[in-house]
Amino acid sequence: MHYRRDVDILDFHKSLDKNTPLSYKGPIDDRILQAIGFYIEGLLKATPKAGRKVFKIFIELAQNISYYSAETSILSDNKEIGTGMVLINESNDYYTFMTGNLVKNDDIVSIIEKSEIINSLDHDELRQYKREQRKLPPGRKGGAHIGLIQVALTSANPLDIEVNPIDDEHSFFSIAVKIDK
Amino acid sequence: MENILIEGKHGVNFIPTVDFNAETGICELAGESYLEDTIDFYSPLYSWLRQYVAEVKNPIVYNFRLRYFNTSSSKCIIDILNILKKYKDDGGTVEVNWFYDADEEDIEDELEEIEDFMIETNLTINLVPN
Repeated sequence: MHYRRDVDILDFHKSLDKNTPLSYKGPIDDRILQAIGFYIEGLLKATPKAGRKVFKIFIELAQNISYYSAETSILSDNKEIGTGMVLINESNDYYTFMTGNLVKNDDIVSIIEKSEIINSLDHDELRQYKREQRKLPPGRKGGAHIGLIQVALTSANPLDIEVNPIDDEHSFFSIAVKIDK
Repeated sequence: MENILIEGKHGVNFIPTVDFNAETGICELAGESYLEDTIDFYSPLYSWLRQYVAEVKNPIVYNFRLRYFNTSSSKCIIDILNILKKYKDDGGTVEVNWFYDADEEDIEDELEEIEDFMIETNLTINLVPN
């Protein structure tokens, strides 16, 4: 017998082909950060330098989801945790690290503007931008406003940002980062 | 004045080891730092340093031995350095050492970050290879 399946798990599996060593969708709290961070270092140990970079990029982007995702889950300890997706894709010469999560449409403009500034700057300009932004008062839970800047510095490649409208209030925000092996 | 001793954790939370000693003036921050709430963790460390520079007024040797820290923690490191810089400007004796592993995969990134700390705070940090 078959139950009704709103998600085709075979399609899902195929879309995450053999070049996807890791994918996750769900709430992102410290336990998940720790577990996935640990797996990343192991899975990518053939390319230790790139693996280390993917780890650092993962921490920054995953913490952004944890704090700022517009989709949240209430865990058993009643803590409200941001939900989102994390995915690593492997090519011959590089890794692509991706995250996706819902954001409120009101927040979209500032994220896109910041990403455009980041992509327009060279390495030294990025460092200067990071120092300036770090001086601003801290955000929620001590956020330093420099996660995306650090991601661009660590990856040494431009950020690939995509925003797709979901409804009147929300969009799906995704970011892909290329890390050379 | 009491010492602060926090055992670092490499588990669910990545808490750095903290060893602030009021008798010797030696303060150490070691290990890894990416916490859920950085302000919660670092606030008592700022308070301790402010009390030390106001009451004990002896020389401080501040040793960083961090392997990894996230951007939120980097802001807290800046705050610590700014407290030390002010103490130095007010006549205190301050030595800041950053111990690093020259064999670390991404050591250039780390050294660049320390350079940024120095530019941002105007405080000299001695780079000490392990």
